[in-house]
Amino acid sequence: MDETTVREKMREFIKRELIRDESYDLTDDEGIITGGLMDSFALAELAVFVEEAFGVYIPDPDLTVAKMDTLNQMVARVMRDLQ
Amino acid sequence: MTLIHIAVFSTLALLYAVLVRGRGRAWALLAISVVAVYWLQPFVDVRYLDFAFPTATLLIAIGGWAATKPRDADTPSPIFTRDDLKTLIVVLGLVLAVAATRYLAPALRPTASRPPPIETVILGLALGLALIYGLARAIKGRQLVQAAIFAIIITFAIFKTDALASWLAALLRQNAGADPNLATPADLTWLGFSYIAFRILHTLRDRQTGQLPDLSLLEYLNYIIFFPALTAGPIDRAERFQEDHRALAAAAIFTPPRWVEGGGRIAVGLMKKFVIADSIALFALNGVNAHQAEGGALWLLLYAYTFRLFFDFSGYSDIAIGIGILFGIKLPENFDRPYLKNNLQSFWQSWHITLSNWARFYIYSPLTRALLRRKPRPSNAAIQFAGHMSTMLVIGLWHGVTWTFIIWGLWHGVGLFIHKMWSDRTRRWYNGLKDKPAQKRLWHGAGVVLTFHFVALGWVWFALPDAQTALSVFVKLFGGA
Repeated sequence: MDETTVREKMREFIKRELIRDESYDLTDDEGIITGGLMDSFALAELAVFVEEAFGVYIPDPDLTVAKMDTLNQMVARVMRDLQ
Repeated sequence: MTLIHIAVFSTLALLYAVLVRGRGRAWALLAISVVAVYWLQPFVDVRYLDFAFPTATLLIAIGGWAATKPRDADTPSPIFTRDDLKTLIVVLGLVLAVAATRYLAPALRPTASRPPPIETVILGLALGLALIYGLARAIKGRQLVQAAIFAIIITFAIFKTDALASWLAALLRQNAGADPNLATPADLTWLGFSYIAFRILHTLRDRQTGQLPDLSLLEYLNYIIFFPALTAGPIDRAERFQEDHRALAAAAIFTPPRWVEGGGRIAVGLMKKFVIADSIALFALNGVNAHQAEGGALWLLLYAYTFRLFFDFSGYSDIAIGIGILFGIKLPENFDRPYLKNNLQSFWQSWHITLSNWARFYIYSPLTRALLRRKPRPSNAAIQFAGHMSTMLVIGLWHGVTWTFIIWGLWHGVGLFIHKMWSDRTRRWYNGLKDKPAQKRLWHGAGVVLTFHFVALGWVWFALPDAQTALSVFVKLFGGA
């Protein structure tokens, strides 16, 4: 699976399931957690989605604001273990 | 840490900066930490126990390292390098040197009371190491890590439960030829064990998930028993500590910016802990004045306790971080203006941050993920409730297995759950307030006041010795008799 597909799948999941606003214009480098759109529960939901959709397990200590605040960071983390 | 401890550590920091170079720095940290484990341990009224606890700390840390060490399938015993062996010999030598101070005048001993005879210490160390070695050889692969996690949790439960601690204290008193009827949980005051246990559990759990970097015995011990963080944290993470530790040899330690930063943190911490917190403590809520005050005076006592706790604990963290900086290790921050947060989740992201993170990584997140994976999947509300309640219950129990800490934990669990329900329903509306700054400020301010009072009322359970007193204070705060 290429990076663009991963990125768009994640963007769609975050908008539909986590922000719950499909019309939201989610950019690649906006702070999703620091911007108040996602919390630690949403991070856990995202981690389970990543496991099921891409077969990548993100360890719990990596689910932090510092490491997973933007779509760019999330995609990079998934691609690291996908390749 | 007392003022004397802080003064001595600061003086040692100066000598370390001026005299110690290269790889010697890691060894110097080890030497100071090992002696500090004994020096910081308070007096315990059972003979030799204030020597036995620090020794047990060191053995448990060595055991933690042995359990987390990556092993080949063909070689069942831990892979010791020459450096690891050297570390072990240095630690044993230091323990024997501390024990040998039994022949010196009391003022020259680093221990709270006279250490046991050298031959007893040698026997204890030999038995401890033989046990670690035997278990590491006998238990294979993942089971060793599981057994170590189990052993730490059981030890923790015994020491944190008053009834079990009293039973063990009576047993130890009897063994030492003292009156077992005088046993109290205070006999088992084991300095730093709560923090050490949580650091070791983090390494064991990360080993299970394959996340733990390979640590030498020197790195592992320095991480677990790093002396500024021994008494009350912060709870660093091994991979972060390792980065600083590896950079130590080449780091510029004796530089003005480092000393301004480290010295400044220590000065701020001293002011917060020994001036502000100790002054407020004179009229902070406690088991005695809780019975005497009522109405506005009782609220004043509660506010005083709320601020005393913050200044005491965050001041302590400042001192620990400051000393760490002087020695070249940048411990993680533990507080970030917690009483100015506008919701309970933000409060827990800024109060005792390293403990909250620990609980999020090892309780909340794995439990929530496991429930999210279940088919059929429970409702989000049920998962969130289970996640918050379990996490806060563990944080409560970490402080002690008592009803008051359990209720305090559940108080925050319920609060976090309610906040989650509320914020999910109001998030879009709240984010929409970006264009209405006056309204946003008003809601933010209301959130700060509400969160502060929710936290302050929670401290009633934390501050008082028993649930009955806490409940009566609660009733009196709201005008009841």
